[in-house]
Order: sequence, then structure tokens, then C-alpha cells
Amino acid sequence: MFERIKPLVFGIGLVAQLLAPAQSFARTLDEILSGGTLKVGVETDLAPLGSYNDKNEVVGFDIDIANKLASMLGVKTEFVPLKGPDRLPFLASGKIDISLGALTRNPTRAKVVDFTVPLHTESLSVLTLEGKPFKTWQDLNSESVTLVQVRGSTPVDFIKEHLPKAQVLLLSSNADVVRSMAQGRGDAVIEALDFFNDLRAANKANWRVLEDPIEVDYDAIGVAKGNSSLKDWLNVALYSLHSGGFVNETWEKWFKGPMTVKIVANPYF
Amino acid sequence: MNYALHYGQVTPYLPYLLGGALVSLWISALAFAGGLVIGLLGAFGRIYGGPILSRLIYAYYIFFTNTPQLVQIFFLFYGLADFGLLMTPFEAVWLGLTLNAGAYLIEIQKAGFLSTRASELEAAETLGMSRPQQLRFVIIPHIARVLFPPLSNQFIIVIMGSSMGAIFGLEELTGRAVNINGQTFRALEVFSLAGVIYLGVTLLATVGLALVGRLLLRVPMRIA
Repeated sequence: MFERIKPLVFGIGLVAQLLAPAQSFARTLDEILSGGTLKVGVETDLAPLGSYNDKNEVVGFDIDIANKLASMLGVKTEFVPLKGPDRLPFLASGKIDISLGALTRNPTRAKVVDFTVPLHTESLSVLTLEGKPFKTWQDLNSESVTLVQVRGSTPVDFIKEHLPKAQVLLLSSNADVVRSMAQGRGDAVIEALDFFNDLRAANKANWRVLEDPIEVDYDAIGVAKGNSSLKDWLNVALYSLHSGGFVNETWEKWFKGPMTVKIVANPYF
Repeated sequence: MNYALHYGQVTPYLPYLLGGALVSLWISALAFAGGLVIGLLGAFGRIYGGPILSRLIYAYYIFFTNTPQLVQIFFLFYGLADFGLLMTPFEAVWLGLTLNAGAYLIEIQKAGFLSTRASELEAAETLGMSRPQQLRFVIIPHIARVLFPPLSNQFIIVIMGSSMGAIFGLEELTGRAVNINGQTFRALEVFSLAGVIYLGVTLLATVGLALVGRLLLRVPMRIA
């Protein structure tokens, strides 16, 4: 009997080993400086923050910000493409030094990673279609409404709490969400619509955005829990980039418009 | 800066995850059942269907076993929607798993057909059995005994494939694990727990199938 279950026992042992409290691989500021590269997690399916251009290079707001930070440090950037749900695990396991990709600051996430001062805001709004009857976001709290969202993203929590009656279809990317809306699979999307300009243009439909945003979130740069040498430097650097206008200029270059709610540069942090 | 494991943050979601495991098992069982029918008809057609039907079935087999299952479901869910055919997540994932399993099961069951001894078929013919009767009373019982172990393996493969449903809005085990990860950010805890549940589901399925095989079909199978 044992001969036959030996591989299973071995497998469980292996898993247990993998799960044992791991040594952290997060690199301090000194280690990044001496290593010569800054490993940056970017979402590549999130234009205009990050996406592949026709030469298959990653470009966007996040990429410009990361390159600027790296040049201030005097190191090179190494971009690690990832999806939303990867950001925290990649930080925790040291696969990346910093995470961009519209990382919304919130207390749950702050238990697992550390955040810098805000980099930009994200205004949560409702995207729907002409002909749908909704006037405010509260109108979406109905069993006959299907919201199409990205699995594992922040708005899903919001919906669970504030629109518990709505049906939710969870897909794997913004592109899938917008395409599904255009194909008629749902009634509305609750998202940071600053990011949807390109996708809306690419998917033909009579789009309509509800006037009042639901809430304003602050997106910061994420670092591994306890990596304060890196976080402290980033805070000082971000103050310079905000007060000098670099963040807003870069935003307008990529989003074709001003940030809906601007960041106020604050020297005291 | 150690990452400390906190399973306590994830255990409240255990019933939710187990509910997802039921969805995984249910869609896999339905897809496997559909695949068995396709496989049986396909194997029958491959052997007795004449040159044209046989080649059409072979083309189907080649197409579905040589393209990724993920691409097949993408086509069903998003591709066909562009032509106005909106399938629900469950329908699209079920159909994708079924068509894919069906392709593999054609070749598996064909081997079962061919392992039926000619003398048995001749005996059946002598008794005046029609082709469908031969299928029902001679070939299927034979296939069931010879092929039960590889068929069980295929069922496990279908269960693993059902995890792709997470990408297409199906709230099965993997999808629910991703949801919990999105709320708790406890990736290691959530996915290791989901892994253990998958292990439990496949173990259960294996034992269940072995019991069915032993009690109904008298296949000499060890249960654990």
C-alpha cells in the first residue's frame, strides 16, 4: 500500500515545503543600486498605463514613470508583465521590486504590501449603453442587471457590498469585459473609466457613461512589506515628479486628457 | 520581511470553495457524458461509416486534439458571439470540454471496438443481431471492460480542463479561488487550498469510477 501512495506522500511533502514560511527575496534600495536594475511589474493589458505597441514593446504612462524613476536612481528598468491579481504575489515573492498597474491603496492590501504616496487617482464610474434606463449607480442594484467585471479586481468588492442584488459576470481582462459589453452580455461595467478610452473606441457600441463618479481611489506604487529603504526614496522622488509637473504631463500625453481628480503634491509625508 | 502564512484569513471561504468544486465536478461529469456519446458514435462511424464519414470524423479528431482547448472555448464564447450566438459561460465551457473530450474518446473507444474479437462478432451475426444490437450487447460491454481505466483517466483530464471556466465567467473552483485571492490577497493560502480540494475531487472521482467499474461492469480494478 505504502509503495502505491509514496508519490502522493512525496508530493504533499513537496507542497508543504513550498508553503513553509519563505525567506523574503525583496531587494533593498542598496541592493537595487548595486544590482543596476529596477524590476517593475506592469500590466500590459491596461492601455494607456501599459500595453504592447506594434513593435511588441511595452509602452504607456507606467512605463514612462518607471523609466523616469530608474533614471533618477541611475539604474536600468526591467519590466515584468503581469495581470492584476499577480501584483501582490509578485511583490511578496520578490519577482518585482515595485508594482505599478493602477495599484489601488486599501487597508486589506496594506496588510500584505507597503504603499508609497499616491501616484494617480482612479475615479470609479459606470459605463453602460444608450437605451439602458440607469440614471445613478444605485439603479444597478437589481436582479435583472448583469454587471461585467474583471475577476479579482477592486470594483467586485464594491459591488458585493453596495449592489448585492446585481448579477455579476467575471471575466479575465478589461478587453474581455468591454468586448462582452459590446456583444450584449451585460448591462453595465463599474470601472475606472479613465482606462477605457482605447477599448471603447475599438469595440463599436453606443457607449454611455453615468455622470457622477461612484468614488475616487488613490493608486500608489507598491513595494514588498517592510521594504522601507525603497519606499522612503520613492516618496521623495514622487514629490518631485508631482510638484515638477512630470506626472500630470505624462498622464495627459497618454490619456488624452487631464486626470479626473488630480493629486495634490504634499511635501509632508 | 518574511511572508507569514495565515490560513485563518481563507478558511471562512471553505464552503464557497467547496461549492465551486461541485460546479467543477458537475460540468466535468456532463462534459464527459457528452464526450462519451460523441466518442462512441465517432468510433462507430470511423470503423463502419465508410470512407467519407470516417474521414470527416478523423478531421474532427485531428482538429480538436491539435488545437489548444483554451482557444476552442475562446472561439465558442467570444468568437461565435460576434455572429450573434451568445452562449452562457456554462454552455460555452461545457460545449468546449465536450467537443474536446469527445475527440480523444473517439480514438480511445475505437481501440476498444477493434479489440473485440472477430469470433465474437461473427457469433453475434450468426445469432442474427443487427449492427445496433451488436453494439449494445457485444461491443459496449467489451469496451466498458477493456477501456474503463483509460476512460477514468480521461475524466480526470476533463476535471482539470474545467478550470479554464474561470476565464469565461464560470464560478467553478479555480474562478472562486481567484475571487477569494482578489479579496484577501492570500495567494499561497487560497491556491494551495484549491489544489488540495482538486486533489480531493479527483481522488473521489477515481474511487467512484473504480466502484462503478467493479460493481456494474466487473472490471478488475483496485480501488485505492
